[in-house]
Amino acid sequence: MDIYFNQKRRRKAEFIRPPNHLKEKVGSGGLSDDILDKAQRLLEENTQDFEPLAVMYLDTLLQGIDRAKGFVPSEDVEYILSFLIYPTMQLKANGGMFHYQLITKIADRLIQFLEVIEEPDIGAIEIILAFHTTMRAVIQGKIKGEGGEHGQEVLNALESACSRYFRRNRGEN
Amino acid sequence: MNYQFDKVSVLVVEDNQPMLELMKSILTTFGITEIYSAKNGDEGFKAFCTHKPDLVISDWMMRPVDGISLTRRIRNDPSSPNQFSPVILMSGFTEKRRVMQARDVGVTEFLVKPFNARDLYRRISSIIEKPRQFVRSEDFFGPDRRRKVPDDFSGPHRRIEDKVKENQALIG
Repeated sequence: MDIYFNQKRRRKAEFIRPPNHLKEKVGSGGLSDDILDKAQRLLEENTQDFEPLAVMYLDTLLQGIDRAKGFVPSEDVEYILSFLIYPTMQLKANGGMFHYQLITKIADRLIQFLEVIEEPDIGAIEIILAFHTTMRAVIQGKIKGEGGEHGQEVLNALESACSRYFRRNRGEN
Repeated sequence: MNYQFDKVSVLVVEDNQPMLELMKSILTTFGITEIYSAKNGDEGFKAFCTHKPDLVISDWMMRPVDGISLTRRIRNDPSSPNQFSPVILMSGFTEKRRVMQARDVGVTEFLVKPFNARDLYRRISSIIEKPRQFVRSEDFFGPDRRRKVPDDFSGPHRRIEDKVKENQALIG
């Protein structure tokens, strides 16, 4: 077996170790817990208003859904889906940074759904619309944090809808 | 003795203004005073060439030019002033294929949003304390994509546990 793996490499690779200028500048010691706690408090207590941004991304998502409704098989699926993934990713990434952890969780499920569907068919569009409506309700209701028991119920309902869609597409009940 | 971040310059590339402000505040709390910002990858590359920062922290999804394209330019554009510059890419993506995509254009560290202050600090600290060698081959230039070289590996089959560890290492 070794004779195969000990053959001479066909493609050359050059390894370079650049000077570590950052280390030279900062020295050693790391950052104290006090500084890290202060930075964490700043994150947790930030009062930036996420609502206008969220509404903008939700509107963009809705435009993406409208675009996907007109999907024809000759189009590039990945291109059409990118108009859905971009705003959803923004909602997922930024929701939790601005106290809307439930938005992050819902958007995360939607990303997972968008990453695996074959094409935006009618069933998929209905589900994406359900995600959109739910996220809009969370923002309008200013439901911060994870939304408690009700938030979990909402997530479960959306996940069930996705499961039903995949079962249906596989020809199951 | 803490890190002396007052001599370090950072470029933050982020199209979301509240997020940009938040990031600048955290970096300021860390002691970093020289912070430049840009709204997308195109502006980011111009700012990178002008200010030659020690570290770049960029969002992935931006329009018209995203963080992946910015990283590619930093690593490969002939006008890049420092092809070895550390790049931390922020994203909500956690799927393996996306993380691999970032790694394959030469991103140094991947930071999943939403993150906390210690997550960000760990990425910066990793760049300072455990810098990776760079690899230049026919189709790749960037930090060595292997986090760890197995000492006694001499065949194609690895144990499942190694794969799990590899995946965890990919997203830090």
